[in-house]
Amino acid sequence: MVLLRWRQKNREPAAAAPSFADLALPLLPSLYNVARWLTRDAAAAEDLVQESLLKALRGFESFETGTNFKAWIFRILRNAYLTSRSGLAAMRTIALEEELQEDSTVPESIVNRRTPEAEVIRMRDADALHAAMEKLSPPLLEVLLLCDVEEMKYREIAMVVGIPIGTVMSRVARARAFVRKELQAQWKATREVGR
Amino acid sequence: MTDHLTAATLSAFADGELPAEEAAAAREHVDTCLPCASTLVDTWLLKSSIGKSAHRYCMTAPCEERLQKIIGGESRNTATAGDASMRPRRKWIGYSGWIAAAAMFLVLLSWTLMQFRAQRVASNEYAALAAEAGDLHIAMLASSAQPQVVSSDRHTVKPWFQGKLPFSFNLPETLPADMHLDGANLAYLGDRPVAQLLFSIGRHRASVFVEQRTRTAQAIHLSRAGFHVIGFTTGDLELIAISDVDPGQLRALADAVRAAQ
Repeated sequence: MVLLRWRQKNREPAAAAPSFADLALPLLPSLYNVARWLTRDAAAAEDLVQESLLKALRGFESFETGTNFKAWIFRILRNAYLTSRSGLAAMRTIALEEELQEDSTVPESIVNRRTPEAEVIRMRDADALHAAMEKLSPPLLEVLLLCDVEEMKYREIAMVVGIPIGTVMSRVARARAFVRKELQAQWKATREVGR
Repeated sequence: MTDHLTAATLSAFADGELPAEEAAAAREHVDTCLPCASTLVDTWLLKSSIGKSAHRYCMTAPCEERLQKIIGGESRNTATAGDASMRPRRKWIGYSGWIAAAAMFLVLLSWTLMQFRAQRVASNEYAALAAEAGDLHIAMLASSAQPQVVSSDRHTVKPWFQGKLPFSFNLPETLPADMHLDGANLAYLGDRPVAQLLFSIGRHRASVFVEQRTRTAQAIHLSRAGFHVIGFTTGDLELIAISDVDPGQLRALADAVRAAQ
């Protein structure tokens, strides 16, 4: 009986491992969106995604089935971006900033619930939000996109970017603080024009 | 009030990324602290708005089609051969001649398709390799670091690679006018060690990547982002020369390196 059960078990077809196409096709729009934000150019983004896919295809044999394919392919995209012309140029112009100070607490003035950035967001002003995000430096922009758009966990972002989770946490906070500040500035400018 | 939560803590709390204990403490604090509660609400609002509106770029249809073809090439590779064993047996004896002819035709067709596909895969691989070599060359140009071996003497540069590469190569005894050997780096292309030979052509820099030949011979000459790429093979070696110099001068350098092998 035991033997029969063993034989039956062996006859069951093993679950086929997902192919590269199964895993990569659903991620194409996300890969392109992030590439486009980073390169700020449609043609460069297309080249970047194509190059990343070719590299991923070549290295797919080394990918361990069952592990995080999304983090794996986004890491390839990021590395390809870093060695691309636009990536090299962008990274060269950025001074490595200090990580967020742990004592940077919430200012008392924020007690006003109708903050300028909240007003802009409530007005559904996507253009203002995009303009603020476009001013982010690539290291902050990439973590913000992976966190808020791709909905990755800090652990996955750390894997993609190759930094500790604590640094991901401070970069996400700094990115949001920067966007808030930009929205505040835009809101003030709009109000002054309106007067 | 000095005991507010830090911006990083609030941000991580909004993302649900704080460890359970810290999250409980943050929740307790937010329940009693209006400024922190206000910032938390704004962070959620900002996070949600970015999530909704930052997915703003869509690729063009031709690009999507091209990328799907690249991916599709791989999926076809893994497709199963079909369910021939499940087909019912037919009375085939009378048609054996036709069946044999059809089988031969299918074999021929499959072989042609496989050859075509192999060529396409090799071409894609080679294009990716050339792109990677281009990136290494650009990175070298952007870097202020010295080459790993700095010498214009071929008898210094070649022995430096002993024990570092699983193959050997020669350097030209004389180079065309206005060309100099600057040194070399040990680099990696497609996860394999290669020699990156660095040359000056006037004020331009050129890289010649030398690696062990693993694929069918290909000679290429293409331009990419202002850089000229010449790929060629000699015996057991595969070489890729890259520079933004005039293509004729790059060709002269490639010919000199080829002649030395």
